[in-house]
Amino acid sequence: MFNLTELENDALIEIFNIGVGQAASSMSAIVKEAVRMSVPSISFIPRTEAARLLGQADGVAERICGVSQRYRGAFDTEAILMFPEDKSLEIVRLMVGEAVPLKELTEMEQEAMCEIGNIMLNSCVGTLANIFQRELQGSLPQYHIGTSDEILTATGSQFNSVVLMLHIDFLLEKHQIHGYVAFVLDISALHDLKEQINLYIARAMGKV
Amino acid sequence: MNSLRLPLLESVFCAVSLGAIVLDNERRIVLWNSWMVKHSGLQHEQVLGQDFFAVCPELRGGRVDTAIQHALYNNFPSLLSQTLNKAPFALYLSPAAAAHDERMQQAVEVTPIAIEGTARHCLIQVSDVSIAVGRERLLREQTMVLRSQTFSDGLTGIANRRHFDVAMEKEHRRAKRGGTPLSLLMIDIDHFKAYNDHYGHQKGDQCLIQVAAALAGILKRPCDLMARYGGEEFAMILPETDVDQALLMAEAIRARTQQLAIPHERTTDASQLVTVSIGIATQKAEATVEIDALIGAADRALYQAKRNGRNRVAALQS
Repeated sequence: MFNLTELENDALIEIFNIGVGQAASSMSAIVKEAVRMSVPSISFIPRTEAARLLGQADGVAERICGVSQRYRGAFDTEAILMFPEDKSLEIVRLMVGEAVPLKELTEMEQEAMCEIGNIMLNSCVGTLANIFQRELQGSLPQYHIGTSDEILTATGSQFNSVVLMLHIDFLLEKHQIHGYVAFVLDISALHDLKEQINLYIARAMGKV
Repeated sequence: MNSLRLPLLESVFCAVSLGAIVLDNERRIVLWNSWMVKHSGLQHEQVLGQDFFAVCPELRGGRVDTAIQHALYNNFPSLLSQTLNKAPFALYLSPAAAAHDERMQQAVEVTPIAIEGTARHCLIQVSDVSIAVGRERLLREQTMVLRSQTFSDGLTGIANRRHFDVAMEKEHRRAKRGGTPLSLLMIDIDHFKAYNDHYGHQKGDQCLIQVAAALAGILKRPCDLMARYGGEEFAMILPETDVDQALLMAEAIRARTQQLAIPHERTTDASQLVTVSIGIATQKAEATVEIDALIGAADRALYQAKRNGRNRVAALQS
């Protein structure tokens, strides 16, 4: 499996924590309440394993809610924010402060979920782009609901691709919710990413 | 054909039935379509060439501002949902709505636009989502009505078991979050089976209705809930209530039931009236337990009250 050195791994975690930190402050401004987010760990896993990792309770595929955006430039990737369906209901309703919970996200709530995904993904990728000193170009967010395998397939990822998986801790009003951001990368994107990380590390070392 | 292309594109841009604004890299308004004129009341000549934030000063520093920066300087598009951004633009469906400052419900998209030979521009699209918002409001209102029907017990009219489960979940979480005590009372009519056998089911139903109404009448706070838990068993959720207050409440319930003076010849109680036994379980503010454990404790307390002779209160602290 593709692996990063400890240094590369730490650099990426640091970059993503800056990204989600910005996303959290944008979201705090929207809800006028403290929102905190962090990325405790990241991992590189094959696409097939990613589908298995996300929601397999007792062998039954759990329904996942996903928001995806495609980015091109310094490296090409499909980025997907994913939460188990019940957690996505919880997040949106905590953000919106809605009193009448319905069983599924309504059309307007799905759009709100898209906005949350848009903020998160743009912050994460934006921080990467800034640190890599390269530009990336993004698409508008798209909402998905289904098993993780269905979502990964719907977003057009190949079976042999690799997923950079970020574990996200989301804290709002004493509710702690775990989610994931998946960056689906093909082999060349993977090498582009690794190269960018090393350029960043070299620059950082050089400046010290 | 080619010479017509540009004016044609501009006319199409103007005619589309959603709001469209184009800003240049300095955030000056380059295009402002007819839909925007119609709903904002601002004419082309008032806005074209102007700084966007001079035209819409209240948007400075907000989500729209961030989205524009993302589009112009990071090349990222943004979506602003109606739900999380209450009507950022001063747009109105009619002059009457404008007079009341009743804004159109909006969803906004801000996308970067690349043009050859000059710095990146951005397109702001505003759609009217008033219909969808209205539809969802209706859906929620009807859900509320439906829920209040499915949450009440058909016979006694008080909350049913389902309502109890939902309320328990909510209050348990609230107690945990707020660090407050929570008491649960299990109330059972003494020798109710014997009552039913002796007086008949119609009388039995009437007894349940009467007791339920009397006990529900004792509750004064909106957060307290009395529910029919099973056949002749009732449950009472008392948030922010410690064991001493719960004991007072239980004693009031016990006395009130006896006061109803419903004759019961087949009871073991000397009064020969319908009486209740009550089990109390209290979750202390500093030591939370699972919901099941709290219900189990109240059940055990109720059993203890029964064993000690009925028409009495017993408490367990968990």
